[in-house]
Amino acid sequence: MASTLERIQKVTAELLGVPAAKAIESAKFVEDLGAESTQSIELVVSLEEEFGIEMDEAGALGVKTVGDAVKFIDAALAKK
Amino acid sequence: MAKSYVQLKDSEVEVLKKNGCRAEDWKKISAAAGFNPELVGGTYMTGEVKFGALSGKVKGADGVERPCGVFRTNLNNVTMGDNCCVMNVQGWISNVDIEDGVIIENVGKIICTGETSFGNGHEIAPFNEGGGREIKMTNETSSQIAYLTAVYRDRKEFISAMNKIADGYTNAFKRSRGFVGKEAQIMNADEIVNVYIAEYAQINGAKSLVNGTVNSCKESISFIGNGVVAEDFILQDGASVKDGAMIFTSLVGQGTKIGKQFSAENSVFFANCEGFHGEACSLFAGPYTVSHHRSTLLIAGIFSFFNAGSGTNQSNHMYKLGPIHQGTLERGSKTGSFSYLLWPSRVGAFTAVIGKHYANFDTVDLPFSYITEDAGTSIITPGMNYFTVGTMRDADKWPNRDRRKSPRKLDLLIFDVLSPFTMQKVVKAIDICGKLFEGAAKDERFVKYNGIMTNRLGLKASKRYYQLVLDKYMGDTIIKRFKKLNPSNIADILKAGTGSTVDAEWVDLSGLICSKDRSEKLIADVAAGKIADMKALHAALGTIFAGYEEDEWNFFLRTFKKINGTDITPAAVTKIMDAWKEASTKLVDMVLVDGSKEFEEKTRTGFGLDGNKDADFEAVRGTFETNKFIKKLQASKNDITADFDKIKAVTK
Repeated sequence: MASTLERIQKVTAELLGVPAAKAIESAKFVEDLGAESTQSIELVVSLEEEFGIEMDEAGALGVKTVGDAVKFIDAALAKK
Repeated sequence: MAKSYVQLKDSEVEVLKKNGCRAEDWKKISAAAGFNPELVGGTYMTGEVKFGALSGKVKGADGVERPCGVFRTNLNNVTMGDNCCVMNVQGWISNVDIEDGVIIENVGKIICTGETSFGNGHEIAPFNEGGGREIKMTNETSSQIAYLTAVYRDRKEFISAMNKIADGYTNAFKRSRGFVGKEAQIMNADEIVNVYIAEYAQINGAKSLVNGTVNSCKESISFIGNGVVAEDFILQDGASVKDGAMIFTSLVGQGTKIGKQFSAENSVFFANCEGFHGEACSLFAGPYTVSHHRSTLLIAGIFSFFNAGSGTNQSNHMYKLGPIHQGTLERGSKTGSFSYLLWPSRVGAFTAVIGKHYANFDTVDLPFSYITEDAGTSIITPGMNYFTVGTMRDADKWPNRDRRKSPRKLDLLIFDVLSPFTMQKVVKAIDICGKLFEGAAKDERFVKYNGIMTNRLGLKASKRYYQLVLDKYMGDTIIKRFKKLNPSNIADILKAGTGSTVDAEWVDLSGLICSKDRSEKLIADVAAGKIADMKALHAALGTIFAGYEEDEWNFFLRTFKKINGTDITPAAVTKIMDAWKEASTKLVDMVLVDGSKEFEEKTRTGFGLDGNKDADFEAVRGTFETNKFIKKLQASKNDITADFDKIKAVTK
């Protein structure tokens, strides 16, 4: 089964139109991957659907990098 | 009491002649007790001229004390109060009554050409440049009176009655003589024709003022400054028009500032508006409408609590049947730099519009949104704008920036961001977002709603955002009620409030939020002649304003019942407060995250030109931790806990 990182990379690549390989853990969604503020909402919901979780709004807005997203989602999956 | 004037004694005439004065007929020149002819010189008089007492000095707004007297001036049919300083009037002061303590200095002319209402009763055509929504402006026109008159045009009897009320006021205000009120100051002005200048008003450097009224009072002085050209106008007290501004057929409300070469035509500006550099045409600028930058045109629209970015523009003309299109941005909206809207469009409350929009859309049921543009397509992100630091800051600043110092506030303002007006829309928005999401195919990235596109997946988040807003409002309202009534048991406050109990839509009458049954009753009473003059009209609006809290409580109770299918109970209050605490905490956290973006690395790009970027940024912008607003937000978390505990204590 694909890792959390790989699944985030897949969703990010589809949504932002960037190569999955560019979505490395240190990559920032806004500065490095070109996510605009409204796309960040779409990204949050896409990740929710991918992982079957509901992300806390304030926490999700605080996610800056792909690595942050991995940690955030892993924590949410652990709570499930 | 009217001052008593007696014909000049021969000895007084001789002094005036010695001082270089001339009169067409000395028998028509009179003076009040305390008149000193030695303080009048170089003055030519025609018709009846009446001098007041002359002694001592009067102080100008520039701090300079001037000796009272009349020097180098031409007077025709002028009555003066006591201790005025009138000098260097190159043309004439003609047919004017001047009250005590007035300064008139270096003026071309101040004349009244015959019976006039000084701009009162003059028709303004706001909101639709093609006309059809005319308002007869008067000194008493409030944002509510203007809104009802401009918007409810299909109520013919009502409109006719409103015009009669305006006519009644106008006729009572008509005079055949100009007026300069007590301690007003008029300096360095070119021409003033048929202008009523109320007490304490200050005019300095105006170019041309024709057919208007400058309302003013001691607590709330109005000012007209350099290079201003104004024709067919009314300034309400505390207004300021300066720096070469040009206003034609326009009303400038209490505490409003117009300047820096702004121009306005057929426009109304209500309380605390600001217009600099740009242009207004058929603009209905409700309270706190602000446009600060060059090349911004606000045309054929209704706005309030609005901030226009530079280059904001709208089109109201399709080159077919003329400039007939119109639009609205509901309260609290803002436009980004070089934003463009194609009228007709309607934008919901507290929405930020960014980019250029060539679609005609209606988003009034999706408040607190972002409207952006992507390659020519207009996209709405519903609900997101409530959680931005900008909206939070706006809500905080408006009440604190009320410049109206007059004891009487004409515009009745409800400042609440979360109110029945916005919450009825939030309830609808939850439903709209849910249905749009469920109704869309999974492979659709965007869904169309009322002329605008919205992201399908985003709708899921938007629905959650709106639910948070609703949870916050429900708890806020309980807390507000609790603080008002201070009950020992929560059950004591769960009954209906006094006043309106009708399940009606709520409207925003340009600042006054009210239940529609209230506004409809007022409209019916006016149409039926039960409200027949300006005083009664203001009183009726005042009653609606005073009833807001009770009406809001009833709205809250109805909204609860609509959502839950039952009346509210103490147990339900517990649930509401639990949801409120969570929503309020999330809100603060989300706004803090948004605020933190203002301190991120990328926002520092323009700083540290010669190195030391971070130090330079912090020296100029400060730090996230020390920012005053951020600190206040963080502290508000304690308030959440305190309020929560208070309510919990009475629900046990």
